[in-house]
Amino acid sequence: MSGDKDKGPVNVKLLLIGNSSVGKSSLLLRFSDEQWLPEDESSATIGVDFRVHKMEVKGRKVKLSIWDTAGQERFRTITSSYYRGAQGIILVYDVANRESFDALPRWYSELETYVSQAVVKIIVGNKVDKEFSRQVTYAEGQRFAERMNSLFVEASAKTSTGVKEAFQQVVEKILDTPELWAPVTKRPGVGLNADNGSMPGSINLSEPQGSSAEGGGGCGC
Amino acid sequence: MTTELPYAADAEVSLSYDELEVLRLQYQKELSQSHVTIQTKFNYAWGLVKSPVREHQVEGVRLLQEIYRAEPTRRRECLYYLALGYYKMGNYEEARRFNSLLMEKEPSNLQAQSLAHLIDERVTKEGYIGMALAGGAAAIGAILLTSLIRRAARK
Ligand SMILES: Nc1nc2c(ncn2[C@@H]2O[C@H](COP(=O)(O)OP(=O)(O)OP(=O)(O)O)[C@@H](O)[C@H]2O)c(=O)[nH]1
Ligand SMILES: [Mg+2]
Repeated sequence: MSGDKDKGPVNVKLLLIGNSSVGKSSLLLRFSDEQWLPEDESSATIGVDFRVHKMEVKGRKVKLSIWDTAGQERFRTITSSYYRGAQGIILVYDVANRESFDALPRWYSELETYVSQAVVKIIVGNKVDKEFSRQVTYAEGQRFAERMNSLFVEASAKTSTGVKEAFQQVVEKILDTPELWAPVTKRPGVGLNADNGSMPGSINLSEPQGSSAEGGGGCGC
Repeated sequence: MTTELPYAADAEVSLSYDELEVLRLQYQKELSQSHVTIQTKFNYAWGLVKSPVREHQVEGVRLLQEIYRAEPTRRRECLYYLALGYYKMGNYEEARRFNSLLMEKEPSNLQAQSLAHLIDERVTKEGYIGMALAGGAAAIGAILLTSLIRRAARK
């Protein structure tokens, strides 16, 4: 066994969450394909989408699997099943839409049910190209991120401002937190948890009590 | 760039037994109260379609078809998961049919495009197998024929 660098790539799982229409899919498309779809051609994600992206960070090869979840309320149960094993969470809001920023605490409370504290979080204030209709200031976003112990970046999937930085920053922080990716990671229990949705029939996927969490019996794969 | 193959996330990963059980129990509970919400039904159908068990997939597709008929606002996701369900069941014609309906409405939907590629790939692959089988049969036929001719010639 030689140094870290000779081992294979580090596998990193990232999850994009946030209200519908804030631009999660657009950020991912910009990041992975350097593409941008005209505004009227993009469609709301159905359930979840997925992409693999390879990059090199701090001299290490990293294989990112990025799960792009649907923000629409009706997909909440579906998307909650994808938190399992995530090392980084990208929370997106739209700087020109106050409601999407005000929704962040709800996203935090959801993610806290599914992932451990050590998981790296970054808040991305997207659509900064719409400066003229901005409703959330940079300072406000940053203050909130600080309070939530999260990284913060403003970006635009349209102009590609800040997009690469956002992904780069999460990955760097993950690499700086070996307990997240080095072997023997203790994964928090995840799954379906009835009765945690705000609308009828919307439930969280969280394993029944006692079957996971501390036991370590569950498969964290 | 570095993006890889077409991919349909929900076609690859299935739920754990416990997770599917939570969705099933919720559905059963509402059934017994004789009021099943569309959301509960959809969640359960989704869990079933993702399952590797064929009977689950069949049941999931059945539920999705009911939702499709009953709830116009849910059509796009029903089309997508119907296509996905049929794809997993190996019924590529139906998979294509439902996915095309979605693509007609949303020509630049990347998820639908990706699923279309996956379906095409499978069809091609299984088409080759089919051809190989047919080719094999033809080869055997040819051997039989030549031996017959040889035998006939010898007489
Ligand atoms: N001006 C501007 N528009 C953007 C930007 N990013 C996304 N959009 C537009 O915002 C709309 C929604 O973008 P999506 O990427 O589909 O949003 P989403 O967060 O993936 O939405 P869901 O899949 O429903 O959760 C589309 O019309 C995009 O073109 C941006 O940086 N600037
Ligand atoms: Mg999306």
